[in-house]
This record gives sequence, C-alpha cells and structure tokens, in this order.
Amino acid sequence: MKLRKVAALLLASIMVISLVGCGDSNKTNSSSDAAATSSPTSSESSGTTSSGSDNTATEPTALEGKLVVWTLASDLQQFSDYFMEKNPGVEVETVVIAPADYPTKVQSALLGGEKEPDIIVGEPQMLEDMYDAGFFEDLNQAPYNAQDYSDKIVDYVWEVGQDDSGIQRAISYQITPAGFYYRRDIAQTVFGTDDPTEVGKLFADYSTIIQTGETLKAAGYKIFASDAETGYFSGDSAWVVDGVLNVDQARYDYMDLCVALYQNDLTAFASQWAAPWYQAMSGPVPLLTAETQWGTDSMNIWDADSFAAATEGTDTVEVFAYGLPAWGVLVMRDNVGDTAGKWGVCSGPSYGFGGGTYIGISSNSERKDLAWEYLKFCTLTEDTMEWWIATSQGDTVSYIPTLEAHADDANEVYGGEQLYKFWLEQAEGIDYSKVTRYDKAIGDAWGAAITSIKTGEKTKDEAVSEFYDVVESTYPEITVNR
Amino acid sequence: MRKAGENRKKRNVNKMGYLFVVPFAVTFLIFSVYPVFRTLFLSFTDFKGFGDPNFVGADNYTRVVGDKFFWRALGNTIRIWSVNIILQLGLAFLLTIVFSDMKYRLRGLGIYRAVYYLPNIIAATSVAFLFKTLLDWRYGSVNQILASVGINATDPVNWLGNSSVAPYVISVIGAWMWFGNSFILLMAGVQGIPSDYFEAAAIDGAGRWKVFRKITIPLLRPILLYVGITSLIGGLQMFDLPFLISGGTAGNPSGKLQTVIMYLYKFGFEIGTHQVGYAAAIAYTLFAIILIVSVVQYRLMREKED
Amino acid sequence: MELKIKKTILYLLLFILALTCILPFVLMMVNSTRSGIEIMTSFSFIPGHALEDNWTTVFGYFNLFRGFFNSLLVAVPATLLTAYFSAITAYALAVYHFRGGKALFLIIVVFMMIPGQLSLLGFYNLIAKLKLIDSYIPLIIPAIAAPGIVFFLRQYLLSVLSKSLLEAARIDGAGELHIFHRIVFPIMMPGVATMSIGAFIGNWNSYLVPLILLNSPEKFTLPVMIASLNSSTDITSNQGAIYLAVAISVIPILVVFAFCSKYIISSISAGAVKE
Repeated sequence: MKLRKVAALLLASIMVISLVGCGDSNKTNSSSDAAATSSPTSSESSGTTSSGSDNTATEPTALEGKLVVWTLASDLQQFSDYFMEKNPGVEVETVVIAPADYPTKVQSALLGGEKEPDIIVGEPQMLEDMYDAGFFEDLNQAPYNAQDYSDKIVDYVWEVGQDDSGIQRAISYQITPAGFYYRRDIAQTVFGTDDPTEVGKLFADYSTIIQTGETLKAAGYKIFASDAETGYFSGDSAWVVDGVLNVDQARYDYMDLCVALYQNDLTAFASQWAAPWYQAMSGPVPLLTAETQWGTDSMNIWDADSFAAATEGTDTVEVFAYGLPAWGVLVMRDNVGDTAGKWGVCSGPSYGFGGGTYIGISSNSERKDLAWEYLKFCTLTEDTMEWWIATSQGDTVSYIPTLEAHADDANEVYGGEQLYKFWLEQAEGIDYSKVTRYDKAIGDAWGAAITSIKTGEKTKDEAVSEFYDVVESTYPEITVNR
Repeated sequence: MRKAGENRKKRNVNKMGYLFVVPFAVTFLIFSVYPVFRTLFLSFTDFKGFGDPNFVGADNYTRVVGDKFFWRALGNTIRIWSVNIILQLGLAFLLTIVFSDMKYRLRGLGIYRAVYYLPNIIAATSVAFLFKTLLDWRYGSVNQILASVGINATDPVNWLGNSSVAPYVISVIGAWMWFGNSFILLMAGVQGIPSDYFEAAAIDGAGRWKVFRKITIPLLRPILLYVGITSLIGGLQMFDLPFLISGGTAGNPSGKLQTVIMYLYKFGFEIGTHQVGYAAAIAYTLFAIILIVSVVQYRLMREKED
Repeated sequence: MELKIKKTILYLLLFILALTCILPFVLMMVNSTRSGIEIMTSFSFIPGHALEDNWTTVFGYFNLFRGFFNSLLVAVPATLLTAYFSAITAYALAVYHFRGGKALFLIIVVFMMIPGQLSLLGFYNLIAKLKLIDSYIPLIIPAIAAPGIVFFLRQYLLSVLSKSLLEAARIDGAGELHIFHRIVFPIMMPGVATMSIGAFIGNWNSYLVPLILLNSPEKFTLPVMIASLNSSTDITSNQGAIYLAVAISVIPILVVFAFCSKYIISSISAGAVKE
C-alpha cells in the first residue's frame, strides 16, 4: 500500500530533482551558451526593445485607448510593444495564437459577433476565406483611403491584401520572396565561383538543377538536405483557371525533378523542418546510406558526443543549398553555427514566395480609428520599418522607401551581397494572379503524388490519376479534365 | 436482473433514481445534446464555416457514400485500429493475469501501474515528435542501431514513409501509449472481485486457466463490455497520433494514415478546404457505422452471457 | 525454484516494458534543459545547460505560474464535479429501476459514438448566447455530464456491488442519499479514482475549447499559453522552452496520480470493501 504511493511520489521527485539538479549545474556555466542561444527575437518580446532606435518621431496627436490584437506570429507582439512605447496613452493587448488554430479562433469569435479583437491577421492561404466571410474592414473607404499608399508597398504584397473585387483588406510589413541559400565555399570548390548571379544559373531550370545535383554528388556533396527545397519554385501557372483544374507541363517537369533528386540519391534525405535538416545547415551530417556499413560496438547512440565521435569521418555529407523565403535569413541565423559567413543567396528557377503576416482591421471593431493608426504604424511608417530591420536582424520589409534606402546595404554575413535589393527584385517578379485559394490543398495532393512515385509505391499514371480523384472529391466545384 | 416493483416501498425507492440523474441529464441536454443537434442540422446544408447555411437536403450524405476517400479512410482506420487493439488489450490482459496470479504474488504493482500509465500523461505532440525522431529513415536511432548490428544496413526500413509499414507502426505506438490505461481498468475490475471467489477456487484446487475462465472473465464482463465498446468508439475516432505523425490530414505516405476523423478534419477545420456541412455529414456517417458495429458487438457479448 | 526463475524472468520483462514508458519522459525533462538548437540538431539523454535560458524564454512570453493557477482553477472543480456526479448517476442507473433509466443509459452510450470535433461550433454558439464567453463557467459546469465515465462506473458497480448490502442498509432505515455517500461511494472508490485521473488529465490538457472560449490573456490556461510558444517565428530557439513548459505542466498530473493511486490501489488479497 505504502509502496505504491511512494512509487508515484518517486516519479514526481525524480523530475523535480532532475530539474533542480540541472538548474544548479546551469548556474555555473551558463554564460557561453546563454549568449549564443537566447535569440534576440524571443527575448525582446518581454519589452526591452527600446535600445534599437531613438524616440524622435513626433505624433501629431497623442493617441489614447485600448486595442486588442489577435495574431499568429509573435512578431506582432514586438510591434505592439513598440507601438505602446511610442504612444504611451494606448494599451495594446496582443494575443498570440498557434497558426493551426488561428482560423478557428477568429472565425468563432467574429461569427459570434465579438467586438474584440480590433486587429486580426492572416497568412496568404487563409486570406481569401477570411475576405469572403467579411472579417476584414474595407480599407479603401474614408477615413483610411488605403489606395493612397499603394505605391509605397511592394506590388504582390499589396495584391495579396486585396479581395476578389480589388478592395484593400489587409497589408503586410514584410515581403517573402523565395531564393536559394547556398554554401559559397562549396560553390567555389565545385564550380569555381561563388558569385550569386553565376550560382543562380546552376538553378536556372529544373533540368539544370538535376545536372547541378549530379555534379555535386560526384564531388561528394548533396545539393539539398530534403527534396522539398524546390517547392517554392514548383510551378509558374495557376492551379485552377476559370473553374478548371490546370496541370501544365511545368508541373510534370517539377514532378520529374523531385523524382530524380530522390532516386538519383542527390539529396541528404532529411525531412524539411526536422532535426537533421537543421543540422545540415551547420556542417556535415552522418547519413545512413546504402553504401554505409555502420558503427562500432562501443558506439553509444544515446550520447551525442560519443555518437558524433563514432560516426565522424565514416559517412557524412555536406549540403549545398536550401530553398527558403526571405525570412529564411532568420532560420539560417539561428542554425548555421560553424558555417556562419559562408552562405550566399541566389535566385531560383521561377519566382515564388512563402508565408507573410497580413494585418487588417476586424469589421466588428468599435475602435477602428485607433486600429487604423496601429495598422499604419506597423506597415506604412518608415521609422517602424527601420526599427524592425534592426530588431529582427534580417527580416525584409515591404515598405518600398525603406527597401530603396537600404538597397545598397552590403550584408557581410552573406559575403557582402546586397540582400534587400535582391529580395526586392525577386518580389517584383512575383505574379500574384497565379495564386488561387485552392493552391494549398491541390499543391499538397500533387506533392503526395510525387512522393508515391519517387518511393516506387505507385506508377506515374496511378499517382496522377489518384491526384485527379483527390481534387475531384475535395472540390466538387472544380472541373477535372483528365 | 430482478423484476422491479416487488412492493410499494421499493417503487418509492426507485423514484430516487430520477433525482440522482437530474443534474447529469440537465447538463447533458444543454451542453452536449444541443451542440450535437446543431451539427446534425449543418450536415444538411452547404455551410462553409462562415456565411449563411443553405439547405441542400441529403446531398452531403450522397457525396459521403460516393466518396472513395471516405471509404479508404475508414479502411485505414480499421486496419490501424485492429492491430492496435489486439496488441493493446493483449498486453493489458497479460499484465492483469500476471499481477492477479495468486501463485506469483508479484510485488510493485503500484509502481508498474504508475509507470505504465506514463505514456498517457505525455501529450500526443511530444510522443509524435519523439517517434518521428527515433524512426527517421536515414537519421533515426532505430535504424542506426539496426544497422550497427548488421540488420537492414544496406536498405534501411522507412518506418514512417513506407505505406505498407507505417500503419502498423502507428498501431504499435498507439498500443504502447494506451496499454497502461487498459491495464488499470482491467486491474480495477479484477480488484473489485471479492477475494472469497478466488479463495474458494484455490481451495477447490482449480488451475490458473480455469480460475481465469470461470471466475475472472465472467465477473469482469461488465468492465469488458465497457472496454470493448469504448475501444471501438475511440479506435474509429482515432485522430491525434496518425495526424501528428504523418504531419497533416492527408495521412501520407500514400494516404494510408488518413483516418476518418482526419478526413473530417480536412473539411471541418483546414484552411482552403472548409466545407463544414460536408464535414458534419462525414461525422454522422461515421456515427451510424459505429452505432451498427456497437450493436452487433453488444449482441455478441450479451449472447455469450446466457 | 522453478517459480523463482519464472518470477525473475517476469520481473525482467516488466522492467523492460517500464523502461520504454519512462524513456520519453526522461527525454522530455532532458530536453527542457537543452537549447532549441541542441534539440533540433542532436538527440541525447545527457542534460544540457540551457535550463535558465529556457526559463527566461518561457517567462518572457507569459507568466507560467498564472497559467498554472488558471488551469488548476478549471481542472480541479471540473474533475471533482465529474467524479461526484458521474458516480451518483452511475449508481442510479445501475441500481434503481425507473422509467427512462435504460433509455438514458442508451442515449449516453450512443452519444459517445458521435464524433465530437464538430460540436465545438454549436457549443461556441450556445456559450455566446448564454453570454459566458471569456468565463470559466463553460469549462467547468459541463463536466457534470461525462458520459464515458458514467458508462464505466455503471459497469463497475454491476460487477462489484452486491444488492444484499443495499437491502440490509435499507432495512436499517438508512436514507438513499446516505446509502450512496456512506456505503456505495467507498465501494466505487477504485473506479472513481481511476476515472478521475483520466478526467483530470483531460481537463488539464484541454486545449481547443479553452482556446476558443477564453479571450483575455490573463485567463489563459496552461496549454493555451504553451501553444502560443509554438507560433513564434523562431520555433527552433523555443523548442527547449516548450519542453520546459510541458515538463512543468506535467507536475500536477503526477501529484493527482500519486493522490488517486492511494485509492485505486488495494492489494488483490484484500479484495473489495465488503464490510
């Protein structure tokens, strides 16, 4: 009887002890790690953002009141803090909600007639539904007159913020065009150049990418960590045109590319966003391959150091490139480790973009004037953009005057590349008219078809036919011509 | 069951039953029955999650019946669940027998019961993350260990990426997660059986198997019925684990991990595919299937009793 | 001798099984002491040195203790309500013969079969009409009706309660409520305790309903707070913080488990309470 109680308590105490124990050891040698790992973005959300810029901006009239912001990106938390700093009379309550549940939360509140939140946001793939539901205030009407600002924001971002009838509903502070982040040292070794324009030619189209991959393989490298890296450049046409499913040749070419990358052993077979994928950013990763014979008896796989020692020099590969949007700079910053300073960025086979937080005013809000001030502050104010560039350490804003002011900034971490100019060029190439509300679901189904082909579970015909079936059953309103 | 109403007093006593179930019944009506009927109403509309619902009759239901992906999802669910339930209940039963065996008198039941329950405590997200890491094709510890002892070294198994392996991997992980819970339930049931039964059997010199079959199982029948029906309901409503491990409602590889609730989720909650009316129809079709199977199961378990 | 060998083998097997159940737990705690980058790039059971950073990160986002307190405020009353009202309902359904009793039992079982995910929409609607958004009441009161637990306890009573005991009590002139509180409830205790653990875990980990119903950040429960860590742009650096928050959030579950274990554990030879 006693024994059992003791057992359960024991479990609890094991945990407490381990926490306390680690706490102690932590105190003695935390300094080095702490500096390296606490990221500026997260620590600054607690309200220590004042260091970045001076409070020189003068507000014409002191703003007062309360605002409620519901966001799915914690960035906006920092914007709110900065807004409050500039406008001491305003209290902004920022609620960060996990992206997967954000639409459900906003939907139930707004459909239920809630007056708060005042500010809501959306990512591109959610926006169309949110526009249809009438959640966002029309920003073209007085007193907002958002159309007056249309030349201040990068075109495609402006368009993402518009509903079907061209009414402005939301604005984003960032641009998210995609490119390839590549290792300059490997480019130099294998291709004899690390110039972004020259390296860009290695990714000029799908068949060139395969060739580049083969060359890298012969030299002992892998072109990508996962085979999802080309996803942002996966097609240059709309999935649905006039209610008809549109699968053009480029889609098949992209399919062939993915299959070739996989079957010819050109990637490191990591899963995107999984641990090995991040690990490959910082250097060689141990890869279990067909040729590998593994390990020694003394290998202790539970211990990272001994594991690394045991596998060192046996079969590790280095990865050449990652396909990521502009915010990939932040991912890189946190994960490149020893390879910091060895990276460059070049363009991909087509223009693409990924993500982005679009801010709008809830149509139920009773504090729309103040909300508009907040929206302007976050997206259309030069001072805020300067502050965000400094604070985020590399995010790319959508405000054209700021982008132009920084166009000649050389990014030393990326070998002196003019990243802002580069991203602006990429963003200008994006044709948003090719984006439809069906893209996510259809793109995922196409991706699933590719996966079944490359692993040999289905033939190309079977997989494509199944793809058609999925689209048909998901969207009865779309005509599928096989 | 004894016949009710042997005398007046007894009948009055039985009236107390109403009083005792009132709080439950009222709360249940307000907070469970009402929302369910609202969903039922939605299943006859084209409600997309916003805007006004338009009545479309039984359209959503004819669509479900004709949707091959719904039936595939049902097949997937049954495949994952049946292997899972055999392992889970099998293990729980084995443990119950071992721990209730008078001969062994194993000690530490409390400790083991607590430890076996641990996987239930950990959130499914953590469990999924752990197994995805351990079972990673080219980087996971499992394949690295197998390779280091010379198994599969040349062609590592893609545990979660091979569509003929992945469903059973989910079954095993599920069994690991939930066997502790089943064990506790069965054990609670066994402990509720008065010990005089076992003592009497011991005096009669009944063998272990005979005691189990003649005493434990019959007296456990009500609990077994509960475990059977709830595992069926829970199993056919399986969602978290396959959803998190396959990383989306599509249930890849090759859609083999897509359960019915994942398919429902795709239309009920996922961005870009919001068709709440259709999702509701999927929910009620699944309900009808569970109901039919449960009735059959209940009949079978009752008949054995007689 | 043979028995001893068998026992040793059994213990060994039980131990191995126990080990597999503990490992993820240990991993979770170890990861709460490692930095996000360490977690994302390597797999280890050796504690790291980032506990303090993770702590700072967690508290930089929200006050974890506040969430802890809020969760207790919801989970404890909800669990108590579930335990008591499920027990009394199950008792009524198992013992009394009254018109509609069987039907109610059937309805309970049938309702368990309806996938609950979509009821959320109707539930929100109802709560909005009752003007109870952003309140704990809709998180606590519905706990009175827990069909699954009533079902289990009814079945449990059928297998452990002897009716002669009740007859005897009635002959002694005990009131029905008194009989339930003094005689039946103690007999049900192992079942109630078992179910309470599950109910508490369910309430404690409940995420979607509180997320949808609560609007003020200061009212958020622990899982709602933890989920917002996940939505940060630098997910990598937050991994350790997430593990720390999750590890801390498990403590009350262990405490409840320790507490309830006292009741579910009665050794096999002692049998059920019969006196």
